[in-house]
Amino acid sequence: MSLSIAFLLAMTFLISVGGLALLVWALANDQFGMGQQAAETIFAPGEVGEVEDPATPSAARAVMQNARKAAHQASDSEELFERTIADQSSRMPVLFWLSSSMVWLLLGSVFGVIASIKLHLPDWLVQEAVLTFGRIRPAHLNVVAYGWASMAGVGVGLWLIPRLFKTALVGGHYAIAGGLIWNAGLIFGTAAILAGLSDGLEWLEFPWQTDIALVIGGALAAVPLILTLIKKRVGHLYVSAWYLIAALVWFPMLFVTANIPNLFVGVDQAMLNWWFAHNVLGLWMTPLGLAAAYYFIPKIIGKPIRSYGLSLIGFWALALFYSQVGLHHLIGGPVPTWAVTISIVHSVMMVIPVIAVAVNHHMTMLGSFRLMLYSPTLRFVVLGAMMYTFASVQGSMEALRSVNTITHFTHYTVAHAHMGLYGFLSFVLFGSVYFILPRLLDWEWPHAWAISLHFWLVFVGWGIYFWPLTLGGWLQGLAMLDPARSFMESVS
Amino acid sequence: MSHEPRDNPAQHREQREPEELHTPIGWPLLVVFLGIIAWGAFYYFHDLLSATGATSEAGDRRSVVVVDPTAKADGAAVYAGNCAACHQATGMGLPGAFPPLAGSEWVLASKDIPIQILLHGMSGPITVKGSLYAGVMPAFAQLEDAEIAAVLTHVRKSWGNAAAEITADDIASGRKAFADKSTPWSEAELKDKVGAP
Ligand code: HEC
Ligand code: HEM
Repeated sequence: MSLSIAFLLAMTFLISVGGLALLVWALANDQFGMGQQAAETIFAPGEVGEVEDPATPSAARAVMQNARKAAHQASDSEELFERTIADQSSRMPVLFWLSSSMVWLLLGSVFGVIASIKLHLPDWLVQEAVLTFGRIRPAHLNVVAYGWASMAGVGVGLWLIPRLFKTALVGGHYAIAGGLIWNAGLIFGTAAILAGLSDGLEWLEFPWQTDIALVIGGALAAVPLILTLIKKRVGHLYVSAWYLIAALVWFPMLFVTANIPNLFVGVDQAMLNWWFAHNVLGLWMTPLGLAAAYYFIPKIIGKPIRSYGLSLIGFWALALFYSQVGLHHLIGGPVPTWAVTISIVHSVMMVIPVIAVAVNHHMTMLGSFRLMLYSPTLRFVVLGAMMYTFASVQGSMEALRSVNTITHFTHYTVAHAHMGLYGFLSFVLFGSVYFILPRLLDWEWPHAWAISLHFWLVFVGWGIYFWPLTLGGWLQGLAMLDPARSFMESVS
Repeated sequence: MSHEPRDNPAQHREQREPEELHTPIGWPLLVVFLGIIAWGAFYYFHDLLSATGATSEAGDRRSVVVVDPTAKADGAAVYAGNCAACHQATGMGLPGAFPPLAGSEWVLASKDIPIQILLHGMSGPITVKGSLYAGVMPAFAQLEDAEIAAVLTHVRKSWGNAAAEITADDIASGRKAFADKSTPWSEAELKDKVGAP
């Protein structure tokens, strides 16, 4: 490795670590000016709708203050009013994105099941090229990633925005238009994959022409975020808002860069491919899921999040370290060693934000775990948050060369992918949908048993999927590494 | 939006909007963070030092077989490196795709036949042990004479096969016999020009 590359690498690492150290220092010294008091002025329960008119003489203010304290009930009804306004304003766009996502979830799952059966019965449905594994599998991936996870994530995000900013959603019709265009992009993209017109890069199979629809649709969905942000009626942005804003900034940057045709070729293209593919998980889907988890956990148990400092570390460490981890998908490939090394180091650095978020979520839950028995939303979301911790730590381990030699090219990776996208993100999204829909549709869930059934089916189903593939994948990897055993033995 | 806010029971039951406390991060967690950063720095510099000047550690080294051209070629190693991917370590091939070498009449036939298959490759239908295969067998003319001789001897004496040894000289004369041939053999052509098994 040449000295200049080594220097650049050292800088990447040092800048990220330095940024984090600065953050911890600033927190320790309360540089944000967001001490206990500041945060509570905006947030604390009895003070919603606080008398904040600077022109009021202080004596008068104190009197009004006391009056308000006495009429505690009033603050609740004020919150209730804000919440009603928020939900009314986001109703149509949220319903549109969520219901679209459910259609895609169904379709994507059908593709998934077909692909899975094909792994057992390779001769099933091979008469038509459309139905072959090489087309069904990428169709599955793109439909669940961009159809289900992204659309449901945006739907939940659109619902969170007015709630977080305590104001009506502004420009909801842009989001509806965006949803229509996004759906059109998905339809054409999926059809193109099935017709064999794939771009041939994993996670980027949609032809670039249809990607334009996703870019426009996504941009339109971000318009209400910005318009509402301008009108926000809170001084301090709650952590969920940071993740939402960041996700909606990062995704277009990633998606546009990665889809410009012929920007890179050869090894560079592979590197761009995995830079994108991992970031779409880490800088798009993960923040969407975390935004929801950060909102619903305290919301349902009625306790504040444990530590603002941990929220900050969790967010900024993710922002600093995640974007360099993609090349851990190419360990052992024909890419420069230094690039792989930096991706491995940063993959392990990701343990920092993951622990920060995990401690923040689970310490908040401490003492309230019993509530998971009663609230389906909580059950899905908290379990999802636990799976986030698990998936991420597992991912960091998988990035180590010694582990990756075994797990790469095996079902272990596939199990990990479903730990992340299913166990974490989909669980959180399921929980969110159970919370959101009654508030938008003005009805109650008619059958509690159906929700329980749903939970146990996905929980058990996911377990049947994850554990055998993890274990089998590991054995498969060991068998492939053993020169004395034939390749067939590793897959049979 | 100017809808009249409706009364929704779910909204009544809700807890307040979430907020954050300011519980300090706590030193145990900071120590863990520092440990992770220290590991990162170590891994990075370790890798940096070992990678400078030395040959790269990266890469998939599982199937690399280093064949010393001066030494007597090792038939088993040549087989593992060049043939096992298709004909499998067991010599049994893959049903329907790659024919077996164990017990194959083509392997056990007069030595010119396997030699010519290796030097020029084969394509199109071929019947091996009563089953029909139709694939492409690449040519291995790029290997040294000693290597081809060693791998064929290995194949002819493994998995219950027992046929005569093949020498590097046999390969050299095999190369001369069809020096002008540039296309792979078909079953019919092989039978016609070299002999039937
Ligand atoms: C890319 C896969 C592939 C590799 C590598 C390969 N073969 Fe083959 N081999 C085939 C196929 C396919 C056939 C059948 C050709 C046909 O259908 O015309 C075949 C046929 C043969 C045959 C004649 C049929 C039989 O089963 O006896 C022999 C002998 C043979 N190969 C030996 C070897 C040896 C020795 C090596 C290693 C130096 C080797 N092959 C490497 C695919 C391969
Ligand atoms: C710290 C966080 C994470 C790290 C370091 C990490 C690391 C990895 C590694 C090393 C692989 C295997 C690459 C290979 O050998 O083929 C992988 C694959 C994958 N991961 Fe993660 N992961 C993390 C979090 C997540 C999360 C949160 C999700 C989902 C939201 C996720 C989804 C996936 C998917 C879908 C794949 C499969 C990619 C493919 O082959 O198509 N990961 N990850």
